[in-house]
Amino acid sequence: MSRRVELTRVYHFSAAHCLAHPGLSAADNATLYGQCARLHGHNYYLEVTVAGIPDALTGFAVNLERLDRTVARSLLDQVDHHRLEDAPVLAGVITTGEGLAHAFWGALREALPAGELQKVVVQETAKNRFEYRGEEV
Amino acid sequence: MSARATTTRRFAFAAGHRYHVAQWSAAENARAFGRLTVPHGHNYTLDVTVHGPIDPRTGMVIDLGELKAIVNTTVIERFDHADLNADPLFRERIPTTENIAIAVWELLIPELGPDRLARVRVWEDPTLFVDYDGA
Repeated sequence: MSRRVELTRVYHFSAAHCLAHPGLSAADNATLYGQCARLHGHNYYLEVTVAGIPDALTGFAVNLERLDRTVARSLLDQVDHHRLEDAPVLAGVITTGEGLAHAFWGALREALPAGELQKVVVQETAKNRFEYRGEEV
Repeated sequence: MSARATTTRRFAFAAGHRYHVAQWSAAENARAFGRLTVPHGHNYTLDVTVHGPIDPRTGMVIDLGELKAIVNTTVIERFDHADLNADPLFRERIPTTENIAIAVWELLIPELGPDRLARVRVWEDPTLFVDYDGA
């Protein structure tokens, strides 16, 4: 019998960002985003959930080394100790937690085997947590 | 009609394990598992989630004392400060986090039943956890 598990890996990165809509003036952005319109930063946590069936011999549902390498190459290397607005993976993205979760989902879905990715969670602070599972409405 | 809710209780156990496929040579094991072939251990965290209707009399989905007793007796006493590779549950499979989650589910399902047991989450450390819900 095959048993499907979901494995979640928790990653960490520290980055600077500011929220600004490109179509708005500095004053309008300050009104819209408040203190978040100023350059500041966070200790982010990124949770990546993938699904798989544990291999009968190795017991691994997922090759963790490959997952770690993929997440590092396609995301973490671009954002850790960087300004988020400079990361190619976030080109044109307003770097809200929702925006990051959505953009990271897109990058990881491209980079991981089809059907493996289940969920991306971005935790901006201990109080703010954003999830994306690929849903479109 | 009663409201349906979930209750999650957290447990902990410290256990040793190693990754090793008996049919493979030492070189093959080293290639597949690296330093994980050497016996080592973790402080595991176990989250057991139970679902069901909120009992109108008690206001509970499950008596947490009952849940604690079941999990402590069937899982924690068995795995805490134990060599997982020596447990018959892992005779045919390696005690990876994936297989530990499945094994915990197998230990709990006769006690709690599928109507109550919703999910088992095993944390190997704060950066890695595996969920199993019987699928």
